[in-house]
Amino acid sequence: MLRSRSAILFWQLAILVVTLSIWEWGFDLCRAVLPRPWVPKILDPYFISKPTGIWRSFLKLGCFADNAGFMSCYHENANNLWLATLVTLKNMWWGFLWGTSLGILTGLVLGRSEYLSQIFEPYIVAMNSIPRIALVPLIILIFGLGDLSKVVTAGIVVFFVVFFNTFEGTRSVDRDQIAAARLLGASELTVLKTVVIPSALAWVFASLTPAVSFALIGVIVGEFIGAERGLGKLIIEAEARANAAEMMVAIFVMMIVGIVLAFFVRRVQAYLLRWQPQFEEKA
Amino acid sequence: MRIGVANLDMRYWTPGGDVNAVENVSFEVAQGEFVALLGPSGCGKSTILNIVAGLLDRTSGRVCLDDEEVRFGYVNRKVGYVFQRDTVFPWRTVEANIGYGLEIAGVPKVERQEKVKRAIEVSGLAGFDKSFPRMLSGGMRQRVALMRTLIMEPEILLMDEPFGALDTHTKLEMHKTLLEIWERERQTVLFVTHDLGEALTLSNRIILLSARPGRLKEDFVVPFPRPRDAVSLRETPEFGRLYSHIWHALGEEFRRTKAE
Repeated sequence: MLRSRSAILFWQLAILVVTLSIWEWGFDLCRAVLPRPWVPKILDPYFISKPTGIWRSFLKLGCFADNAGFMSCYHENANNLWLATLVTLKNMWWGFLWGTSLGILTGLVLGRSEYLSQIFEPYIVAMNSIPRIALVPLIILIFGLGDLSKVVTAGIVVFFVVFFNTFEGTRSVDRDQIAAARLLGASELTVLKTVVIPSALAWVFASLTPAVSFALIGVIVGEFIGAERGLGKLIIEAEARANAAEMMVAIFVMMIVGIVLAFFVRRVQAYLLRWQPQFEEKA
Repeated sequence: MRIGVANLDMRYWTPGGDVNAVENVSFEVAQGEFVALLGPSGCGKSTILNIVAGLLDRTSGRVCLDDEEVRFGYVNRKVGYVFQRDTVFPWRTVEANIGYGLEIAGVPKVERQEKVKRAIEVSGLAGFDKSFPRMLSGGMRQRVALMRTLIMEPEILLMDEPFGALDTHTKLEMHKTLLEIWERERQTVLFVTHDLGEALTLSNRIILLSARPGRLKEDFVVPFPRPRDAVSLRETPEFGRLYSHIWHALGEEFRRTKAE
């Protein structure tokens, strides 16, 4: 067990070191030893930069490398890495929040009412068939270049994921469990609170991890198409200057944001669903 | 009379045509009686029980609890119901499951905990108070379901093959627990089963239903004295005699089910 765990760690580190090495030196090495047409273009630092270059860009964008000092750089550059990340996170959070709330609410209501779900079914199918990203220019037209349009975009993307899962979860609640609760004296509202919601929670949570990624996608795409600040804006600006290193910095920051948020969702999920076998506490 | 069923009919509509599930069934259950509703599978015995509980609508006939007409969709607070299927709430611990009815009725926490503790002791679940149902065996989960119902002190207990999914040994253990509780508290019980031995062990009276459509076939009195022992009762000659007597009547119905 110990041996295999250290072996896994070894291979993981090996992959990391090899990837970074090829990224850093691969192109120069190929150019030195291979005839010109055989040099892989994809490794050109013009396209993918280099780990050291990305690090230097990170220090610059993060205001660590400025002679004037951190604070003055922070105030001078309105879209420095910190502010851009904060703005993107903030928009993502509000979009995630309203999208999730509305998704859960709608899912519960339609899931509990056969009548309403039949009325709304064609509209939901139609709305769901629209690629959400196609709505972004329209949303920016309506809500402007500011943060609101990003919040709306992220929310719409999140809404459908959470809605469908909550709806399915609500529909698949065990009818006998509901009958048992009613026979023990539960009112319709008590059944909702003590049986339907706890039972559907597993489904809701299954949608929250993708919902976090989708919220990030929604905000970034919104920023691509039109924004004043944010990580997406940072990428678009770097693209205009053909600066691969800066784009890579923003991409890495997004990766880290994604990892951290997914971790938090997992923790909350593991606590609330501790009655399920896959979240059993490891003794 | 606590439970009164008169001229009960139940027809289901299916794409293949109407199915007569229950036809002209009438019977009564007196205060403190333990009546078993026995019949081959598909004879409509669970349907009758669900109609009595208000979980199913009937086609025609009268169903009364204490001279009060049973209405579909309305839960009678005097009634306790135990399902065959596992309906324990998996997201609640054993004690939270058992205390569920008291909790939603607003019983104060201290009083609730005391009652739950007693119920856990009676049911032999001691030590599993804080366990989630997935850690329990099928028999233990059914004990939780039974205590969750009994803690509400129902005057009328409706049981739908509650031990049908358990193995023989666990079933006998459950019979012991149920006999102990019932012989002390004497609720009015209507118990659906297709297991003749179970019906003889537990009940005072067996109502035998015919194969589909379910009609009343015979009504047997089970004269064994109380308190009964779930295991040694099965070894007495009286048990054997009554068993083979009803078995022949029941066997005819099983054969009819198979012939269809």
